[in-house]
Amino acid sequence: MNIQYLFKELYHRRRRTLTAIFSLAVGLAILITINALSMAYNKASRIPLKEIGADITVQRAGNVPEDLTGPVFACSAVTIKNDEIKQIQQLPGIDGFAQALLLWVFDEDRFTIMLGIDGENPVGPGTLRSEVIDGNFFEKGKHQALAEISYARTYNIQTGDQITIAKKTYMISGIVDASRATKIAAANIYLDIDDAQKLARESKQIQAVSPFGTKDANILFIKANSSHIEALTLSIKNILGEKASVATPASFLKSLGSLFALSDKFSLATSLIALIVTILIVLKTMAGNLAERANEIGVLKAVGWSNKNIASQLAGESIIQCLMGGILGLILSFIAASLLGLIQVNIPIPWEMSPTPHFLPGGGDPVFKTLQLPVTISWSLTAFSILLSVVVGAVASYLLSNHISQIKPSEVLRNE
Amino acid sequence: MNDILTATGLNKAFDNLQVVKDVSLTIQKGEFVCLVGKSGSGKTTLLSVLSGLEQPTSGEVTINGTSITNSLENDLALFRRKSIGFVFQSFNLIPTLSAWENVALPLFPVKMDREKRKERAMELLGQMEIDHRAEHRPSALSGGEKQRVAIARALVNYPEIIFADEPTGNLDSETSEAIMNILKHLHKQKGLSILMVSHDQELAASCDRIIHMKDGEVIS
Ligand SMILES: Nc1ncnc2c1ncn2[C@@H]1O[C@H](COP(=O)(O)OP(=O)(O)OP(=O)(O)O)[C@@H](O)[C@H]1O
Ligand SMILES: [Mg+2]
Repeated sequence: MNIQYLFKELYHRRRRTLTAIFSLAVGLAILITINALSMAYNKASRIPLKEIGADITVQRAGNVPEDLTGPVFACSAVTIKNDEIKQIQQLPGIDGFAQALLLWVFDEDRFTIMLGIDGENPVGPGTLRSEVIDGNFFEKGKHQALAEISYARTYNIQTGDQITIAKKTYMISGIVDASRATKIAAANIYLDIDDAQKLARESKQIQAVSPFGTKDANILFIKANSSHIEALTLSIKNILGEKASVATPASFLKSLGSLFALSDKFSLATSLIALIVTILIVLKTMAGNLAERANEIGVLKAVGWSNKNIASQLAGESIIQCLMGGILGLILSFIAASLLGLIQVNIPIPWEMSPTPHFLPGGGDPVFKTLQLPVTISWSLTAFSILLSVVVGAVASYLLSNHISQIKPSEVLRNE
Repeated sequence: MNDILTATGLNKAFDNLQVVKDVSLTIQKGEFVCLVGKSGSGKTTLLSVLSGLEQPTSGEVTINGTSITNSLENDLALFRRKSIGFVFQSFNLIPTLSAWENVALPLFPVKMDREKRKERAMELLGQMEIDHRAEHRPSALSGGEKQRVAIARALVNYPEIIFADEPTGNLDSETSEAIMNILKHLHKQKGLSILMVSHDQELAASCDRIIHMKDGEVIS
């Protein structure tokens, strides 16, 4: 392969070169962008759960409380028994596990959502430890609690205050800004799960609708490798029965409803079409190039170039063109990605996962996690597309090398 | 042995069309031979068979003691690169390459410094007296200049024989004469063997020997 000849050919036949480069670039950019978009939706669908330090949340639906006084369970989160919890905990593929207890408390003067949490656990709402904006995280066994900032404002609560909810008094150890962190299992007051369990156990309303034992809970948070999530979901549903409601990235992806989110098959099909069209364009450009240069190839043969010499020269040209097309395609993709990254997506959080009573102002309003679509082009996608473009160039020239050997050098004597 | 080229019993047919019929001829080292005949008489076909651009249907061609019939395509290409130079009626220069790169074209597959190649090409362009156009591409050259570049290209590999198919066919009479003078000079001064096809009886008259062709046969 002669580099000098190669670049002169590409440079002096600019129109042809640019056509080849651009068509490859556009095809590749479509391919990359679709994949990046599909990955972005996948990533976005993991965010609501990730914010609460989990990959799966588990609840069980039950009956509506009969009488709204004192502590009750929202109908979307009733008792999950301790022995069920233990069974779930032992399922294979679980990397982290936490339980919590969500209570609605109807007092004379106010309504409070309380979440009993395991503050030491890095999985689940324990992650709120890093969102304390005033005071400290509550200490176990001291009847302390954290107040959510907007609730604290409404009722003028400050760090160090004593508040009484469901006839029990807690010291507010700090204020937490949960809205920034999570939309799942959002509460007004966060307290130790032992305290919450005590409240639940002593509540007649709760016991009437959904018997509750000392160590039971009503929300589980599970960390798991994405390859295990599907199997885990099935097993959990087996353990908890048909009322189980299991939220996973896949369920959020479904609720996003985008074409890209809806099906991997769509992205795969579009990618394949883009790829095939690209390869066809490259092949057609090169075949045209070959036909146009039949005489030139004859001359090369006449002056003593072997088929291999010629094939490698033309392969060099096509690989360089495809490589440049690949690079341009990547640049176009990065531009497209940064534009698509401006798109805001609203991921709907199902009411069940952060229940509020419908009859209260704002209760039952749809809750969304709003975020910029996290479109990024990964290194692996970058490497793949560069490799792909080079392979396309090489394969195309290999497919056409047969045509080269069919050109007869004697034809150059007859081209007047 | 003083023969540079020997052909015996050559036949060439395209499908059922017999274009070269039982041709036997020899060209001596340093001889300048002209092949003349009417259009369609088979001159170009004979030249392509003699030079190894095409395989004969039957018969044998030997160049400088090497039989080139029944050789593999790649071996033939290598043989042409080492021993043969071509000059065409329509120049057949590569449009994207400069004059000197066109001259060096047969050397591209040879392992060799770029500088060495250029040196050799420039030397030949100098002999053709167009070294001042070395960096120009063919589209910027006149017909005569193009043919000088083509002759330089034919000489770049120190060939044992040059095949030229109507090298002046696309040139006006004055330029034709100049090109003929170059070929004659190469023949006289360097002792180069040349086989040239020509329509022009007048140009052919200055050759050592004339071979007449008619309907695929050598008649004298
Ligand atoms: N590849 C081919 N396939 C079929 N027929 C061919 C082929 N090449 C040449 N011929 C035929 O062979 C005959 C001789 O052609 P050739 O080009 O050798 O003649 P020529 O003497 O060089 O003519 P001219 O003086 O016009 O160049 C013609 O009738 C031509 O049509
Ligand atoms: Mg002819």
